[in-house]
Amino acid sequence: MSTHTTDTTPQSFGISTKLLVGAILGIGGGLIGLATGFQTGDNAPFLGWLWGCSFWLSIAIGMLMLIMIFRIFNSKWSPVVRRQLEHGIAAFPWIGVCFIPLLLVVWFGGDNSGILWSWVNLDSPTMEANAIITVQDDVLHQKKAGYLNVYFFSIRLVCYFAVFCGLSYWLRKVSFAQDKDGNPNWTRLGSKISAAGIPAAALALTFGAFDLFMSLEYQWFSTMYGVWFFASGMRAALAVTIIACLYLKTKSGSGGLKGLYQQAHQYDLACLSLAFTVFWAYISFSQYFLIYSANIPEETFWYSIREINPNTGEISGWFWVSMGLIFGHFFFPFLYLLFYRNKIVGGKLLFIVLWILVFHALDLYWNIIPGREIVPGAFVGYEARGVWGLHLPWGLVTLFGVGCLSAWAVLKSFTSDVAEVIPVRDPRILESIHHHE
Amino acid sequence: MAENINNLAMTTKTMDIKYGISATFSSAKDIFDAAGKIREEGYKKWECYTPIPVHGLDDQMGVGRSKVPCFTLLGGVTGFLTGMLLVWFMNAYDYPLIVGGKPYFSPIYPFPVFYELTILFAAFGTLFGMFFLNRLPQHNHAVFEHPNFGKTGDDKFMVVVEIEDPKFDDEDTPVFLKSLGGKSITTIKESIV
Repeated sequence: MSTHTTDTTPQSFGISTKLLVGAILGIGGGLIGLATGFQTGDNAPFLGWLWGCSFWLSIAIGMLMLIMIFRIFNSKWSPVVRRQLEHGIAAFPWIGVCFIPLLLVVWFGGDNSGILWSWVNLDSPTMEANAIITVQDDVLHQKKAGYLNVYFFSIRLVCYFAVFCGLSYWLRKVSFAQDKDGNPNWTRLGSKISAAGIPAAALALTFGAFDLFMSLEYQWFSTMYGVWFFASGMRAALAVTIIACLYLKTKSGSGGLKGLYQQAHQYDLACLSLAFTVFWAYISFSQYFLIYSANIPEETFWYSIREINPNTGEISGWFWVSMGLIFGHFFFPFLYLLFYRNKIVGGKLLFIVLWILVFHALDLYWNIIPGREIVPGAFVGYEARGVWGLHLPWGLVTLFGVGCLSAWAVLKSFTSDVAEVIPVRDPRILESIHHHE
Repeated sequence: MAENINNLAMTTKTMDIKYGISATFSSAKDIFDAAGKIREEGYKKWECYTPIPVHGLDDQMGVGRSKVPCFTLLGGVTGFLTGMLLVWFMNAYDYPLIVGGKPYFSPIYPFPVFYELTILFAAFGTLFGMFFLNRLPQHNHAVFEHPNFGKTGDDKFMVVVEIEDPKFDDEDTPVFLKSLGGKSITTIKESIV
């Protein structure tokens, strides 16, 4: 392991540079989109940007939660896998930086400050029953103004990232310090940090989902929303973890996990994937079910615009996306992951976790993109944004850029000699290496 | 006829049925190695009894994956369909009733019913499938007749090759077990009163 750095540096330096170039191109392209969108008042690049950043944010949050869950349960099998996650959460500060442009627009956007979150600009048009009014005249905003105002919103955003970055910094430090001195008290401290960190991160991710996604349509509310974001993030994080471990398993010697990442680890990770697939469906369906049963207009419109064109009543493109999520993001992975061989055979598992990642992106897209655009002449006073539009290419550009940036940050942590490939002096490491079904 | 059987039982008192041949080993490694050789020899109906879990012994014995999940899936699907049938029959067929402006039948509003019945029946499938595959309930087992079977809960590891095994042979099997290092080769007999 001492040759670890010298072995991998030349090769990963090349990848690292490529990733950095990709990040600059992607984020630069996205920023150009934001600038033009800001000039013309087109919110498509902003929605795309939010989507692209949130995809990677959700993965990092899932990884952070997984580490803390492993820590607090003191699980014997996890240390080998946990180290890979600890590299993964190195991306948090960089993802946080990517949210700064949105915050700048909120503060300094002037007439266009409400381009993404309409409630930011009190003069933005909005709907009350069938009349078009401004946000400040909307009683649904007036009642929420104590929470949904620019000052509190900004403070909250900073707090969320302070929690995420602080926890990731601290958990990484605790784990890496143990590599050096082997003191078991680091493990104890890690459990304590996790005990406090789980509620803190849970609150941050819940209110983060409220602020970033739910407030896009500030009239709408769902108390399930934070749990939905958690479930999605866990699924995506498990998928990325499995991909990383499968890749590292092919590499023997320094930096590789060959002989360390056992079939039993993969089986357990796949079982967690199955569990969170069910959990995601449970949460998503419960949210739909409660709103469907209660049948209150200020809640149901959120689902209606994801199913029909509100002006004609015809099925819209979002209907097919919704069906795609039910069958592609739940039923298929659920049934597929029920089978033992699909969990232990690398290629079979790789297929389904890639599938889950694609549908996770679609799930976020489905949550972020559809919205009501006020159109005075329309039958119901607004039109719903379509599935296809400029938000897709701009979103993909941002997704690529932020992905490259995150991957670069993770690779930087992985190839530096800050830590061994597994936590070699963790009290549980032998049990983890010899983990079996 | 019945009298004859009673007479027979009275005169012979007990009748032994041979169940199998046992051999004991004194360490997990010994039984692990022996199990591999017994599998390679082609025995099918045999079992290991160990005082501690020996990891990897199932694979070594050539025991495949459990069939219980099939019963679980079967139970789950049955439960889901039962739930659908229940709701459709009661709410859309036998006594159509509008509740809360919802359709007579839809897969959405009664989903909790489908879901709960899926879980309930899947649990039934798992439990009773396990009972069925293990042939439970079973009030006694022939290996308990072995005079020192209690040792397998303490410090002995035991292999029992059943007489039902197609490769079982009265003379060869004990010799084979002995050649693997098995001690105190014993014929287990189940007595029928």
